[in-house]
Amino acid sequence: MAAGGYFGRALVADAGDGTASTLALPDEVLRAFVGGVGLGAWLMHRLAPPGVDPLAPEAPLAFVFSPMVGTPLTTSAKFAVVAKSPLTGLLNDALASSQFAISGKLTGHDAIVVTGACDRPSVLLVDGSGARRIDAADLWGLPAAEAEKRLRERLGRGWRAAAIGPAGERGVRYATISHDGRHAGRGGLGAVMGAKRLKAVAVHAATRVASADPAAVLGAARDLRARSFGPATAKYRELGTLANLLAFNAISTLPTRNFQAATFDGAPKLAAEDLSRMRSVTRGGCASCTIGCEHIYAARGGKQMRVEYENVFALGPMCGVSDPDDVLAASARCDELGLDTISAGGTIAWAMECVERGLIDAPWLRFGDGGALMRALAEIGARQGLGELLSEGSRRAAAQVGGGSAAFAPHVKGMELPGYEPRTMQAMALGLAVNARGADHNRSGAYEADLSGEHDRLEGGERHVAAAIETEDRAAVMDSLILCKFLRGVFSEPFDEWAALLAAVTGWDTDGAELRQTARRIVLAKRAFNIREGWAPADDWLPERLLSEPLRIGSGRVATLTPGRLRSMIDGYYAARGLDSDGRPDEASLAGLLLS
Amino acid sequence: MAASAGIVLAGGRSSRMGTSKAALEWHGSTLLRRVTGVLARVVDGPVVVVRAPGQELPALPAQVDVVEDPREGLGPLQGLAAGLAATADRAEAAFACSTDLPFLHPAFVRRVLRALTDGVDVGLPVALGYPQPLAAAYRTALAPLAERLVAAQRLRPAFLFGECSVVRLDEAALRADPVLAALDPDLDSVININEPADYAAARSRTAPEVTIQRFGALADGHRGPQTIHAATMAGAAAAAGLALGRHVVAALNGDQITRDGEMPLATGDTVSFLAADAGG
Repeated sequence: MAAGGYFGRALVADAGDGTASTLALPDEVLRAFVGGVGLGAWLMHRLAPPGVDPLAPEAPLAFVFSPMVGTPLTTSAKFAVVAKSPLTGLLNDALASSQFAISGKLTGHDAIVVTGACDRPSVLLVDGSGARRIDAADLWGLPAAEAEKRLRERLGRGWRAAAIGPAGERGVRYATISHDGRHAGRGGLGAVMGAKRLKAVAVHAATRVASADPAAVLGAARDLRARSFGPATAKYRELGTLANLLAFNAISTLPTRNFQAATFDGAPKLAAEDLSRMRSVTRGGCASCTIGCEHIYAARGGKQMRVEYENVFALGPMCGVSDPDDVLAASARCDELGLDTISAGGTIAWAMECVERGLIDAPWLRFGDGGALMRALAEIGARQGLGELLSEGSRRAAAQVGGGSAAFAPHVKGMELPGYEPRTMQAMALGLAVNARGADHNRSGAYEADLSGEHDRLEGGERHVAAAIETEDRAAVMDSLILCKFLRGVFSEPFDEWAALLAAVTGWDTDGAELRQTARRIVLAKRAFNIREGWAPADDWLPERLLSEPLRIGSGRVATLTPGRLRSMIDGYYAARGLDSDGRPDEASLAGLLLS
Repeated sequence: MAASAGIVLAGGRSSRMGTSKAALEWHGSTLLRRVTGVLARVVDGPVVVVRAPGQELPALPAQVDVVEDPREGLGPLQGLAAGLAATADRAEAAFACSTDLPFLHPAFVRRVLRALTDGVDVGLPVALGYPQPLAAAYRTALAPLAERLVAAQRLRPAFLFGECSVVRLDEAALRADPVLAALDPDLDSVININEPADYAAARSRTAPEVTIQRFGALADGHRGPQTIHAATMAGAAAAAGLALGRHVVAALNGDQITRDGEMPLATGDTVSFLAADAGG
């Protein structure tokens, strides 16, 4: 019998023939990897053929739940989508939220893994009786939200769907998978699903799952709920993540015009403080969440949309665009097409700089031009014109364009950088360089340390290494439990408190020390997968621009991140993680990962 | 090796003041805490306090080093020699000053340190009618020379200046720095406090004029910059109706982030208050 909160099995469905089988998930595996991104990493080790093309039929695409899903614990209705990324060629996981997580798990599985590919556009249905395919010709070409809506009309409201937009259908390497307006956004998982000719995976709850100690879980849920209304989440409740923008501008951490600057003159026009007052329509939240971080703004043309810092950063300052109507429209367009806004904005910003330098012949594509931004997005979604090149992401595009453009292609491991300037956040610089997923702010939350005042954020050193490891470990656990990171500030002793929650749900006699080991195991398992798939030490690095162009900040100080300093921090990270000088684990470490 | 360190001489007898000047309060901080904090804002190396043997000091941040002047009562050159010796292997230069400079401005420290161009050993301000050896910049390599002079009982700073390369910075030279001219036009940085009347006069002056800005949920309707008077970060936070802590941090002039309420502020500073929960 599985531990509380688990079914002890994954469903492995073959989209090619519609068959499905069950993969047993032993208790020791669940305890070692918990769920979400951790269990997803284990599943990829087990099910992804070595060297598989991420867009090949045999590449697995996993929807992974967690023991917390379905409990009354706030922010627990989350799921991880895990696959080998077509953008990075490495392990990729992305989280999304809401009812799909609950219904998907209550199909009776801790994960749903899709392999194979359909011969025509289809939807994979999963419920208590297993998996089957239905035709989706009428949905092909629709935005994910529209496809989801029509599916529920067709199947019934008890069904929940995760769907792709046109970008995923056309194999854009940073296409998203969406559910209920939330996106498993990074790394091109939508292209993986599109390559399987799956418009959506739809799930229907069929059973229940009990926690080991329901009374303890309920008590913990009440406590967490109360704490979720406190000061640690005020920012998310009151203004949402867009509150970062003006603050980041004030401290020179707002990447602007493809990382040519760290402050943006147009930032005040995009500030949450004003946009909220003028545009805010309502607030929303995911299922099972008491924070309610989603701030819905009115956009041009009567549309309403969720606004997040990363959307606005990537399509605003990064591209030099300051008109809020343009930025909101571009963000809405990304949602319609099913594009990761960060990679879309980063790739377009790189292309804008290429145009300035005469490396790309597209005179219409200029920094600050909202119309050009919209045209670029449309061409990417259609893979037409310049979009054919830009749909590949900045790394591949730079390799094609040449002319030194790789030096300012804003990516790590092929994934475009989020809105945190590494030169003025040097713990974050390390986190971005070494993270398994690539340039990513959700698997490495080292920005938190840079903004804590505990170290000089412009002078990376040993303390920055320790901070990057600590925040990476915390993220590994939160993303496996899964709990929303916006809740992280309410935990004063996070590993101990998370262990207590996990113990109440599962019945395991676990503690914070074990969860710290779990975190290290998950981080190592991701790295081990990447090594298996061809990762090289040079992949743990930052774009040349960030290491060769100092930034003068408002105080007059110059922020410099030299290759030597980054190398020193990476060496420190490797040593602290028990890796060799090339960043590889030894055989003994790998033997403890339960991967074989 | 850092470019510069800070040395604060706290071991004087404070005989005219009648009490330890280091512990005197000024707008919510002690003079020693303030002066060490001003230096810490400028230098990239250590800040070292030189005290008399066994001298009690007010609370200081853990990052501030405290060394003892091995021989009490020999005057500023002895303290300077001890400070230079304590920083010589960690910084190329040091700004050395006394503890009784409530108006010392970071812009003054920067200007004086910049005087140490190639071949220059001492940057010596000459302001308000006097040379200011206790508000001056020194090569730390002068440590052995200073020690030899002390051993030879040649205890006045002038003896040191006679044996090295000194650039004197008169008021015009100091004010030629537009930043310093704007932020400390009267060169109050070198005003020291020797007697109770000096202290009373210093306390009667308002705290530095600074600009505060609240971001995100902390703004609470207070959009845009606001001018206040505050000598410490905690004072600025209080003026903003905030308290620094787990969920609120401050950025000084868009640069360092801190939760340190005792961090000194100076005229012209801008303080940005941010939610510490900055992700997403």
